[in-house]
Amino acid sequence: MNILTLIIFTPLLFGLIIALMPSRWRSSFKYVALLATLVQLAMSIWIYCNFKTGAAFGGINHETQFQFMQKLPWINLDLGAMGKMQIDYFVGIDGMSVSLLVMTSFVLVIAALSSWEIKSNLKGFFILFLILDMAVTGVFCSLDFFMFYIFYELMLLPLYFLIGMWGGAKREYAAIKFFLYTLFGSVFMLLIMVGLYLSVKDPVTGNHTFNMVQMMNPANYEPGSVFSVAAHQTIFGLSARAVGFVVLFVAFAIKVPVVPLHTWLPDAHVEAPTPISIILAGILLKVGGYGIIRVCLSIFPDIASSGAYWLGLLGVISIIYGAFNALAQKDLKRMIAYSSVSHMGFVLLGLASQTAEGISGAVMQMVSHGFLSTMLFFLAGVIYNRVHDRGINHFRGLASVMPNYTAFVIVAFFASLGLPGFSAFIGEIFSLTGAFKSHTVNGLLPYWMAACGSAGILIGAGYFLWTLQRMFFGTVNFKGGTVWQTALVDLNFREKLTLFPLAIMVLALGLMPSLVFYKINDSVLALVQFLQLK
Amino acid sequence: MHDLLPFLPGSINNVLDSIPYFMPEFYLALLFVLVLVTDLLFGRDSKKLCRIIACAGILLVVHKDYQQIELLLFTGQANGHFFFSEMLLLTHTAVNFKLIVDVLAFILLLYFGWDDNLNEHPKGQSDLYSIVTGSVFGLHLMIMAVNLLSIYLAIEMVSIASYLMVAYQSENALSTESGLKYVLFGAAASAVMLYGISLLYAFTGSLNLFSGNLVTGLMHVNPVAVSFALILVFIGIGFKLSFVPVHFWVPDIYQGAPTPVTAWLSTLPKIAGFALLINFLRPFIFFQNWNAFDFRLFLEVISIITMIAGNFAAVLQKNVKRMLAYSSIGHTGFAMLAVVTFNAAGFSALTYYLAAYGIANICALALATYFTNVAGAVDMDGYRGLGLKYPAASVCFVIALVSLTGLPVSAGFTGKLFVFSAVYSFYQQTHNFILLVMMITGALITVVSLFYYIKIPLNLFIKRADVPVNSTAKSTEILILAVVLSILIILLGVFPDLLLKYF
Repeated sequence: MNILTLIIFTPLLFGLIIALMPSRWRSSFKYVALLATLVQLAMSIWIYCNFKTGAAFGGINHETQFQFMQKLPWINLDLGAMGKMQIDYFVGIDGMSVSLLVMTSFVLVIAALSSWEIKSNLKGFFILFLILDMAVTGVFCSLDFFMFYIFYELMLLPLYFLIGMWGGAKREYAAIKFFLYTLFGSVFMLLIMVGLYLSVKDPVTGNHTFNMVQMMNPANYEPGSVFSVAAHQTIFGLSARAVGFVVLFVAFAIKVPVVPLHTWLPDAHVEAPTPISIILAGILLKVGGYGIIRVCLSIFPDIASSGAYWLGLLGVISIIYGAFNALAQKDLKRMIAYSSVSHMGFVLLGLASQTAEGISGAVMQMVSHGFLSTMLFFLAGVIYNRVHDRGINHFRGLASVMPNYTAFVIVAFFASLGLPGFSAFIGEIFSLTGAFKSHTVNGLLPYWMAACGSAGILIGAGYFLWTLQRMFFGTVNFKGGTVWQTALVDLNFREKLTLFPLAIMVLALGLMPSLVFYKINDSVLALVQFLQLK
Repeated sequence: MHDLLPFLPGSINNVLDSIPYFMPEFYLALLFVLVLVTDLLFGRDSKKLCRIIACAGILLVVHKDYQQIELLLFTGQANGHFFFSEMLLLTHTAVNFKLIVDVLAFILLLYFGWDDNLNEHPKGQSDLYSIVTGSVFGLHLMIMAVNLLSIYLAIEMVSIASYLMVAYQSENALSTESGLKYVLFGAAASAVMLYGISLLYAFTGSLNLFSGNLVTGLMHVNPVAVSFALILVFIGIGFKLSFVPVHFWVPDIYQGAPTPVTAWLSTLPKIAGFALLINFLRPFIFFQNWNAFDFRLFLEVISIITMIAGNFAAVLQKNVKRMLAYSSIGHTGFAMLAVVTFNAAGFSALTYYLAAYGIANICALALATYFTNVAGAVDMDGYRGLGLKYPAASVCFVIALVSLTGLPVSAGFTGKLFVFSAVYSFYQQTHNFILLVMMITGALITVVSLFYYIKIPLNLFIKRADVPVNSTAKSTEILILAVVLSILIILLGVFPDLLLKYF
């Protein structure tokens, strides 16, 4: 049995177990879900340890260089004059996926632990949670576009219910907004996907194929097909490949989210219950970033470099706009949500630079933000569970009431604002280095973009420190008075158990970035080389 | 009389040779008589017996349909066989359509008996079973008809059966009203169609679509007159398919008819209508010099308008059946995407899409019945908070709606994918601008359709009930049916090969 297949479908198996367990055992559902995520984590660590590095394992556009591959024929249909339709069950990972896969498994354990706060309809919650778990894991492992798309879409429905049923006051609105927004992006992705599949032929079997790796090779395109590099087809008078790139980019940019497609995010993140906020911020946003790497950059390298300026610009706008918005928020969770927009902007900027530093930085930033946003949302959930309020102005002097909690908040805030020694620093600095270097190496991005990106860090420091000062320092003064003061007890054992490994991870990645870089380096170099070849 | 004598042996031989190709219909006719007689002999107690006979008979017909594939392949006529003096044409596609119709008819026959509203009817349901078997016979003819005369007869046969079914609960004012509306509109539509047919006959002196000089004859007539006559015929066909602008009857009638009849109306005649449309278009599309009337453009425009109108109108609905009625109009528009390609890949995508739509729509309406049975809910508001009380049914409802929206993992999604790929490959050959617009519309309406379909899960699971429902009514049979159909939907979503390899 292939390890990736196991890691994808383990949650489904556990979900089935929960479905079959009688409702009176409802108190044990959370342990089953936790066990599922722990099993996944163990498998992903095993994968991480056995992941081979070296120039022969770069992946990206070489099918043979992927690891832990499994390829089975899935849907094979004879379509007469159109040739044959070939959809494979095709999983495999390279450096880009492995780091995100491990991060995902880790974050899912934390999310499972924070699901303790869910009190109603436990069976439904955990089944949906595990289906979502399967979908996100599947996205990072799929190498067949059809499979990728199925997992990508499969995330939506569970998330809709998870936000809608267990969310906050405006949950209906937030859930449908999220669903419609993402679906809008992905239905057009479906059209481009079908177009790509009809343009590409598997050189071995001669069938049309959904294989993403085959789509990266310009030689596999049929002459005269819509997306052929040589044919220069047009759609509505625009270059077909440019249209394809833009549509796919919009689909992923909604997930990332890139300003101006970010408006679903504050609503969804704020209204979702803590475990789902964690999954949304920690994993879902990375699905967007991963999609841009795996699909947009790799299948349309020509457009990616001609449009790099615009990608970089969108990245910079996200950084600055997100940061300013975060500065203005009065709700802690909303502040964190906007900080995510800002931090994900660095990912886009790094990718747009198309340098080894920039792309490594982007992946590092994704991994780091996965841990950090998890930590931040968990921390926001802690006070919300105690007093059901998150207003930044409603708290003062928390440090003297909840000292342990404040310690973790300080770690998370300082790490997020890019203090050297923590992971976000590495991610941001590498992204910015890439952006600076881009002007001299490939001339894609001007200097001012990198400079503006650096300014984003400064504003980031502003909102984090200001929030820290307002909520945690000064004399104790709560909106809810003494009732709140008794309710606001310090962290319990489970919460410490959840936060401690996160803090360790953030610090470890900051001090030993090679934990990530060592595994991704070959893929990054392969991607840079591939992008230069076009 | 004497002049005809030399032709007589030939005609008789033709009829005799045709019979092997007519076996499923022959059995259907027998079944119809059998159910009718059973009803007469056993009177009021015959409900169960009629149902058993009808269901078993349909299964036998399915088997006979299946044998026809072998018959076609065995006699080396994969492209089709004309019989009964070229009145009917049996092709592989036609057999596929017949199989879908019969299997869905079997599901519906089971479902009719489980609707409480229909069950309370004093007249009993025995008549309904004979009407349904009769209508299935008409549907079979519709699928195979290639002569304007047989087309008209087949459509009328189905129509009359539908009128009877819609107005079946004659003591219910709403049902009677919609029945009357349906008869009036239907009669007008067939009159218009008949007028179109007579014009075509007058122009050419021929009723036969394939042989004779119908198509060549029309080439010599003023194109405006030809277009007029053809549009009149399309009104008749379109009435069955319910595309815009002849869709106006759908919402009222779907809402007023008993729910199982709505399920029948929204699937079977529509599916057979598509088969008819294909047969009707085939001679024109494949005639080299045809330029009097651009069928493709006509269908493309109609398809876009239908998709948009059906889906946007559905957004405003509050009644579940009415919403499903409008959405079924939208589905007609989407299925017409596949018709436009007019190639083998397009037809196989069309059959698959229609099969997936049929299963999901029947599942959704069966669940509408379920919630009416157990909680008396007919409007979206009535569904509030029922999801937690009836989790199994609600989850099935979500699965059916996911399939209708076309999200993975469901049969509806794979159907949509196949239609898109058929249209896309056609676009790659022709680079027709409108095809692109059609596909974009098709993608956009997915988002629109999500907006209204999601209202049901929204009410079931997310909104809280104002008054808790305290009903003890049960409807286990429908639940089992819905669960089976939902599993089928997901199974086809994961392994579309299971079905598609036959198409």
